[in-house]
Amino acid sequence: MSRTILFLALTFIALFVVSLQVGRMLFPIWSAVSSPVYRTIVVDVRLPRILAASLAGASLALAGAVFQNVFRNYLAGPGILGTTSGAAFGAAVAILLAPLTTVTVQLSSFSLGLAATMLSCSLARLVGESTLALVLSGMVVSALFSAGLGVIKYVADPYNKLPAIVYWLLGSFSGVRWCDLASSAPLMVLSALLIVSARWVLNVLSLSDEEAQSLGLSVRRWRMFFVALATLGTSASVSIAGMIAWIGVLSPHIARLVAGHDARSLVPSTALVGALLLLACDDIARSVSPAEIPISIVTHVVGAPTLFAILMRRRMYLAKD
Amino acid sequence: MLRIEDLWMLYGRKAVLKGVSLELEDGVGCVLGPNGAGKTTLIKCVAGILTPLRGRVYLDGVELSALSPRERAKLVSYVPQEISIKFPYRTLDIVLMGRNPYISPFATPSRRDEEIALEALRVLGIEHLAQSPFTSLSGGEKRLVLIARALAQGARLLLLDEPTSFLDFRNRIQVMSVIREVVEKTRRLALITLHDPNLASMFCDRVFMLKNGTIIASGGRDIINRETLKRLYEMDVEIVNVGGYPIIVPRTTLDSPS
Repeated sequence: MSRTILFLALTFIALFVVSLQVGRMLFPIWSAVSSPVYRTIVVDVRLPRILAASLAGASLALAGAVFQNVFRNYLAGPGILGTTSGAAFGAAVAILLAPLTTVTVQLSSFSLGLAATMLSCSLARLVGESTLALVLSGMVVSALFSAGLGVIKYVADPYNKLPAIVYWLLGSFSGVRWCDLASSAPLMVLSALLIVSARWVLNVLSLSDEEAQSLGLSVRRWRMFFVALATLGTSASVSIAGMIAWIGVLSPHIARLVAGHDARSLVPSTALVGALLLLACDDIARSVSPAEIPISIVTHVVGAPTLFAILMRRRMYLAKD
Repeated sequence: MLRIEDLWMLYGRKAVLKGVSLELEDGVGCVLGPNGAGKTTLIKCVAGILTPLRGRVYLDGVELSALSPRERAKLVSYVPQEISIKFPYRTLDIVLMGRNPYISPFATPSRRDEEIALEALRVLGIEHLAQSPFTSLSGGEKRLVLIARALAQGARLLLLDEPTSFLDFRNRIQVMSVIREVVEKTRRLALITLHDPNLASMFCDRVFMLKNGTIIASGGRDIINRETLKRLYEMDVEIVNVGGYPIIVPRTTLDSPS
């Protein structure tokens, strides 16, 4: 159990170091010590980008694992309560209305991501606050914000604003600097640390509400605790890099395969798998072609076949359920 | 001792429990009654899953509704009728979840919790299943694992909602014997809902007959007789003696159910 986590952690560290080397400029990493140009490239361009990709990967993956356990469903992902649709809408509104500054886009997507989730939760309360009510409210809210996004894309200036919106919707870590990290990294770290340290509760939360309650868990309170943390992490990651597909759904599946379903090992493994995956995808995005590839294109191309391969391996297992 | 006083429960405007009172001094108590009588509702009210409109539940003098979920879970454990475990956890992990009321939310189970969980599996004779995925077990084994989880919870009162449903002929007897044995050995109380009056008369110390949300008869196993069963199920039965056991058989066939 802990050997898996150690292995994943070491692999992550190795990839982290390798990623510092990846880029348009090829030079040995130690030359950054002597050359100011290389130092700027490594310390001010690559390092914040690598950190952002790792943190965003871990946050999205953790959100996926949290929602899978809270909703007791393998298919749940970070978008299930409308967080990502809300964040996308928020970013598009900011791009449409405001002169393009990253700060307003980040702030708007972050706050609308949170607002969408809160809307889902309060709608669910009207229906009865079961997990089913939450899922259905999430669908409703997602649909509303997707419609809003559609309107904005339709009215946006096709030469100037629309490409910016589309680019943002496909996600990218290019241009992430230390100042971007300063606002969102603490939120991602905080939510990840709290989720990992309360991971035992996720086991009990994955039982039916009645069973969890009879085992002494205040189900509503803990469900809201995890939903809030997952939303915080997701919104922070979306605000810094735009929409990133697949990582939130795929990482918990890989972690379940290598570390099992017990949250005690699943949760830390999921965070590491998410960080590894997104970091690897970002390395591809910034190195395979002279122009940046949007990150979601890479995660789609990498994610879809990987999930299929996992399902092939799990086939016998699923047949038993 | 379990004492239930004047329990009322409504679903919308429909009263499901209408002033249920009962006392269980010791051993295994069983709630018999037709579908829709309110058996599951009663169990859930005692478990604290449902909040009754009125009435109190005392366990050894402690009023259960006054306790936090965590404190209540140390006194009362509950085995639901339907198994809701979605992910293929290891069986031992399932039993470990019974230790939840003793584990701080920001910690993980200790070695001692693990020993208690293993011991619970051992008491039920299924320690060989500890490492198997729960989803791969048979229906009878799953039921035993959930009982083991309830034991690991260390609660004085075991609530079991139809523990024999979906089980085959042999497993029903096995599960009931295990419950009986555990209750005797560990000096616990058990309140069970059952559909089969034969199982009740074989394994239970006290019988409570619940119909339309009220207790129509209660007492020792000897209250299971033709007259009370006729009132409870609205159906004629015959009680025959086979090797010293009273066996209840339906007298009328399905052509005249009422």
